[in-house]
Amino acid sequence: MVSMEILKVNETPVRTSRNFKINNIKLEDVVLPENVMEFKGLQVLGASKIETEVEVGKVTYGLGDVMQENVREMANSKIRITASQNNEDVKLFYTLDDENTALIHYVEIVAEKDLNVTIKYSSSTNYSCFVNGIIKIIASGNAKVNVVAVNLLNETSHYFVSMENVLQESSEVQYTVIDLGAKNSVQNYYSNIAGEGANNELKAIYLGRENQVKDMNYIAELYGEKTNVTIDVQGALKDSAKKNFKGTIDFKKGCKKARGDENEYCMLLSDKAKSIALPMLLCTEDDVEGNHATASGKLDDKEIFYIMSRGIEKKDATKLIVKARFNKILERIADEEIRNEIVQEIDRRLD
Amino acid sequence: MAKTQVEDINRNIYDIKNEDEYAFKMQKGLNREVVLEISKQKNDPDWMRELRLKALEVYNSLELPTWGPDLSELHMDDIATYVKPKSKLNTSWDDVPEEIKKTFDTLGIPEAEKKSLAGVGAQYDSEVVYHSMKEDLLKQGVVYLDMESAVREYPDLVKEHFMKCVPVNDHKFVALHAAVWSGGSFVYVPKGVKVDIPLQSYFRLNSPESGQFEHTLIIVDEGASLHFIEGCSAPKYNKVNLHAGCVELYVKDNAYLRYSTIENWSKNMMNLNTKKAIVGKNAQIDWVTGSFGSKISMLYPMSILNGEGAKTEYTGITFAGKGQNLDTGFKVIHNAPNTSSVVNSKSISKEGGSCTYRALVRVAERAKNAKCSVSCESLMLDDISRSDTIPVNDIQTDEVEFSHEAKIGKISDKEIFYLMSRGLSEEDARAMIVRGFAYPISKELPVEYAVEMNNLINMELEGSIG
Repeated sequence: MVSMEILKVNETPVRTSRNFKINNIKLEDVVLPENVMEFKGLQVLGASKIETEVEVGKVTYGLGDVMQENVREMANSKIRITASQNNEDVKLFYTLDDENTALIHYVEIVAEKDLNVTIKYSSSTNYSCFVNGIIKIIASGNAKVNVVAVNLLNETSHYFVSMENVLQESSEVQYTVIDLGAKNSVQNYYSNIAGEGANNELKAIYLGRENQVKDMNYIAELYGEKTNVTIDVQGALKDSAKKNFKGTIDFKKGCKKARGDENEYCMLLSDKAKSIALPMLLCTEDDVEGNHATASGKLDDKEIFYIMSRGIEKKDATKLIVKARFNKILERIADEEIRNEIVQEIDRRLD
Repeated sequence: MAKTQVEDINRNIYDIKNEDEYAFKMQKGLNREVVLEISKQKNDPDWMRELRLKALEVYNSLELPTWGPDLSELHMDDIATYVKPKSKLNTSWDDVPEEIKKTFDTLGIPEAEKKSLAGVGAQYDSEVVYHSMKEDLLKQGVVYLDMESAVREYPDLVKEHFMKCVPVNDHKFVALHAAVWSGGSFVYVPKGVKVDIPLQSYFRLNSPESGQFEHTLIIVDEGASLHFIEGCSAPKYNKVNLHAGCVELYVKDNAYLRYSTIENWSKNMMNLNTKKAIVGKNAQIDWVTGSFGSKISMLYPMSILNGEGAKTEYTGITFAGKGQNLDTGFKVIHNAPNTSSVVNSKSISKEGGSCTYRALVRVAERAKNAKCSVSCESLMLDDISRSDTIPVNDIQTDEVEFSHEAKIGKISDKEIFYLMSRGLSEEDARAMIVRGFAYPISKELPVEYAVEMNNLINMELEGSIG
């Protein structure tokens, strides 16, 4: 392992004052692995056309040069899924264990037809694991791609991911991100919504506890006419957890009749939790509609009291309310087994 | 729908230039000698000279902001930091030299003083040329002076507060300001005194390739109240002018201050201004701001709510036209329990102008039961302009109610169609919608200034729509 003093990653597309401490995240407790073995913890289900000899594609923003280079040079797991006809649902389960503590991976999904993909990260070890990766989706020709990405890593691990989507004409990418695990979880998400009538939805849940740090940098650029993007993020922070939410919707010149909505809601479950949000709207086109809203605060005392008056303990009442808020997003996950696993994890982590 | 087409607007009265006549104009550029010369001209006490020299060092050690508008057109070597007009400080308009008086007459300042103000200060280039306040306020112990007189006459009060609310090392242009500041106003309102009629300071920069660095220091003591209005304008030159003023406001326990600004700098002005207020227990500061002028603005007034129950409201409108990049917004720090803030920001961009709402809301861990609500709306009048919203919300406690919402878009075709069906021309319909959009801000201003703001909006829209 090579030690790095401070890892500075996940720059916002537009900078603001340094004093606001949001332009990037600085991590002092992360070391990038110096060399890695082939990753043997991947289980692939349901894919008809899969290649592993893949060149790592570039990403527009990503987590930064260091992290991109790390994937380009050291990837120990690469996969390309091509969907050109009707396809079975694909599942990629990455499990980190005592032997496989570092995953540096690249996933490319080329979809001309509808496709459902579930990507899950979990750990069966208490070791601190390291995950860095790029997930790239190219959607074209009316394809509707549905991706569920789930982070259930142990809370000593470090999780880095750059998700990038290129949406061509009339295509649709629906992303559901469930972020529960890892000590540091740092995500970059970028959608290039180029094709006329393309539609992108990102729905995300985060839950932080103890000393977990969450850094989300979600960016959507609308280029095509009549394009749409929705970013909806629901989160809860317990104990001394910290989160930075950076969301950007950028209406580029020419995206007439485009619409973008961004919403982030953070439930603060402790007076030590820290929440920073930077919801950006950038606009160089007049014929558009853009909205964003963020809110944070503790749970409504009245709601808790009401549930408690029905004979439920306060702790369970809190859980119920948090889960109820998460539920709208969880409902989108069609695979019942995965959904139940997530709900159980949320329950466990809220205890 | 038709789009805006017309070149720059006629800013009529604001653009009238006087000859660049002065009693003294500092050599261009910035160095120790320049700072010492200003200090000498001002007859500074030792502590002030030391502060200026220290600030110069800080200025040299800080880098330009790594964010926001491009400031590469600003060359300090081309800017004269001090221009002394051919006038002493007067307390009667009759004594103000004709040429300078004419400028303020045209801007309507003496007229407004008669009608609706309790006191007026007027600054021309680097020096205040007129300062006066109504007799009865004087009797109640209200102090309204030019800043230099205050340094001499109220040394302890000034020393205790000067560059304490805005620290010298806050950013590069604050350090610049502290090194070369000149002019500005000082207000002290004693405990319990309510000043019902507003005071106004007006800043006019006439000299080309120069800078204005006025310092405004206002102390509203416990239980007192004040409405202060700040106006500024300059004629347009081809070269860059610089404005780096600094406003420090102290609103003590149970006091109230309303600080209104109509900013109409010419479109060659770099407006890099800093304003902060420290607000005590159960006290309140309200900011009302209209930003119309300047080539580049970077201005983010800040309320620091240090006292329990302190409140702040920010109501602002920014209107950016051709060649303008106006980066404005608001910062609030909730630093005590039960504090509250309400932010209402609007912006209009047209003809390639760029508006940015940049903001910070920080709720500290001890600010239990803080409440904050932010709303920003941006109106795009064409597809060559730009409008960005970059707000940071930093929440460090759970006992908080915080919400932020923003909208961006154009004038709805339906609204225009509706008004046209009622017999309005498209031009009038659009102007009416824009004025309606700005109404929540203009209604917060005293009526004369609301009229001025509406005129500015009309001027900006005149002939440019349809």
